[in-house]
Amino acid sequence: MLGLAMLAGCATPPSNDPEALEAYKEANDPLEPMNRYFFELNFAADELLFKPLAGWYYVALPNFAQDGVRNALRNVRSPVVLANDLFQGETDRAGVTVERFLVNSTMGLGGLFDIASRIGLDYHEEDFGQTLAVAGVGEGPYLMLPLLGPSNPRDATGMVVDMLFDPLTYIGMFAVSNIGLGADVVDGLDTRARNLKTLDEIRKGSLDYYATIRSLYRQHRDDEINNGRAPADGVGAGDQQSFKGVTSPQVSAAPLVPRREPLAKALPFFIIKEPAGPIPTTLEP
Amino acid sequence: MIVMRMIRTILFAVALAFVAAPAGAADANPAAAVFMQSLGSRAIAEMTDPTLPQPERQARFRTLLDEHFDVPTIAKFTLGRYWRTATDEQRTEFRKLFEDFIVQSYSTRFAEYHGEAFQVTGSAADESGITVVHSKIDMPSSEDIRVDWHLRAADSGFVIVDIVVEGVSMAVTQRSEFASVIQSRGGVAGLLEALRAKNAQSADSSTAE
Repeated sequence: MLGLAMLAGCATPPSNDPEALEAYKEANDPLEPMNRYFFELNFAADELLFKPLAGWYYVALPNFAQDGVRNALRNVRSPVVLANDLFQGETDRAGVTVERFLVNSTMGLGGLFDIASRIGLDYHEEDFGQTLAVAGVGEGPYLMLPLLGPSNPRDATGMVVDMLFDPLTYIGMFAVSNIGLGADVVDGLDTRARNLKTLDEIRKGSLDYYATIRSLYRQHRDDEINNGRAPADGVGAGDQQSFKGVTSPQVSAAPLVPRREPLAKALPFFIIKEPAGPIPTTLEP
Repeated sequence: MIVMRMIRTILFAVALAFVAAPAGAADANPAAAVFMQSLGSRAIAEMTDPTLPQPERQARFRTLLDEHFDVPTIAKFTLGRYWRTATDEQRTEFRKLFEDFIVQSYSTRFAEYHGEAFQVTGSAADESGITVVHSKIDMPSSEDIRVDWHLRAADSGFVIVDIVVEGVSMAVTQRSEFASVIQSRGGVAGLLEALRAKNAQSADSSTAE
C-alpha cells in the first residue's frame, strides 16, 4: 500500500502549457499525489482517533490545567529554543529564553505557570528548521508526513536535530522509557484540543483543504523564520500587475516583535503588582 | 501542530479583526490608524451580537466588505496569472462568486468572538502606496495575535486590500487555493463551477440553521 503510494507519488511537470508550468513551480509540490494520499490518511486518523481524544481531553481538563500542561512542556523544552536562538545569533532572544526558564521553573512552580509572559518575557518558538533557513538552506519540496503533518526536507531534518536538544529524549533513553513519545502525544492532543472548532471551520470554508493548508504552512514558516519582522507578500506588495511571486519591499516600521522590559526592571513591578490574568482564579478550587 | 496553532490564530484574528482601541505610537500614517479604529468599533458593534440571526449577520458583513474592502482588486489578485486568460464573462462571474464565497466563509466566524481586546499598534507606509496598519489582539489564554491591515488610499479615505495574520496573508492563501483548483479542474471554468457549488452548499446550510 505504502509502496504503491510512493510509486504513484511523483507528479510529472506539465511540459506544453507555460501557465501550468508556472503554477507547478509555484506550488513546489512535485510529490503532490503522494502528499495528498498521506493528507487523506492523516485526516482519517484525525477523524477516527485524534479528534475524539482531543475532544475528551478538552472536556475532561479545565482550561487552567490545559494551560499548565502546555506551559510545563514548553518549559522542559527550553533547551531546544535556546540552542536555536544561539545558532541564529539571536542573543537577545536567547536571553529571554533563559530568563523565562529561570522565572517559570521557580515562581512558575516547575513550569506549570507562565509567569514570565506576564512580565514581558513572551514565549517564542525557534527550531532547527528555522536555523537552517537562516543559514540559507532552502525548504525543498513540500512534504506531508504521515501523522506529523505538513513539512519539507529542511524542517523535517530540523525536527530530528531538535530531538538532540530535547531533555525528554534523554530522560526517555535512560530513565522513564517512552516519556518523550508520551510528551509528544500529550502535546499533540493539547494542540489539537485547542483547535477543534477552527480546523473544522477552515475545512468547511475551503474549496481545496489540502492546498489551503499547504499555503498556510509555508507562509507561517516564513514568518517564523523572519521572527515576524518581514512583511508578507500580499495584494499590496510589489507589482500588482504581474502577480508573480513578488517580494514586497521592506516596510520601514517599528519592530513588530514586542519590546521587552529587562528582567531586573520588571521584577519589582511584578512583585508589587497584583497578578492579573488567569492565575488567581486557577488557584481556587 | 504548528499548522493547527496558526490556523486557530488566523481564524480568531479574522473574526475579531475589527475591534479597535486607541492607536499607539509609531504612526507613519495616523489617518489610516484612525480609519481602522473607527471601522473596528463599528464592526464590533454590528457583528458580534450572539443573538443576531445568521442571514442578518451575513448582510451586515457584506455591507462592511463592500464599503471598506477593495473587493475587485482582491478578486483579481486571487485569480493570479489566470486573470489574463479569463474571458470578460468569467471575470465578472468570478467577482460575484468570490464575494459571496468570502461573505459565507468569514461572516460565521464572528460568532466566536468573546470580547478579546483589539489594539492598533502603529502604521507604516511602503513605496507601492500601501499603508500597513499594525494591530494586535490580546488573547486571554495565549500569546497576542499580530494582524496587519494593508490599506490603499481611495476617494472615501482608505480601502483594505489584504489582511495578514501572523505573517499569513489571506489574499495569498486564497490565491494558492484557487490556483490548485484551477489546475485540478482544468481551468478557470472549473474554479467557477467549484465556487458555484460551494456557495450553494453554504447557503443551504446557513438557512437550515
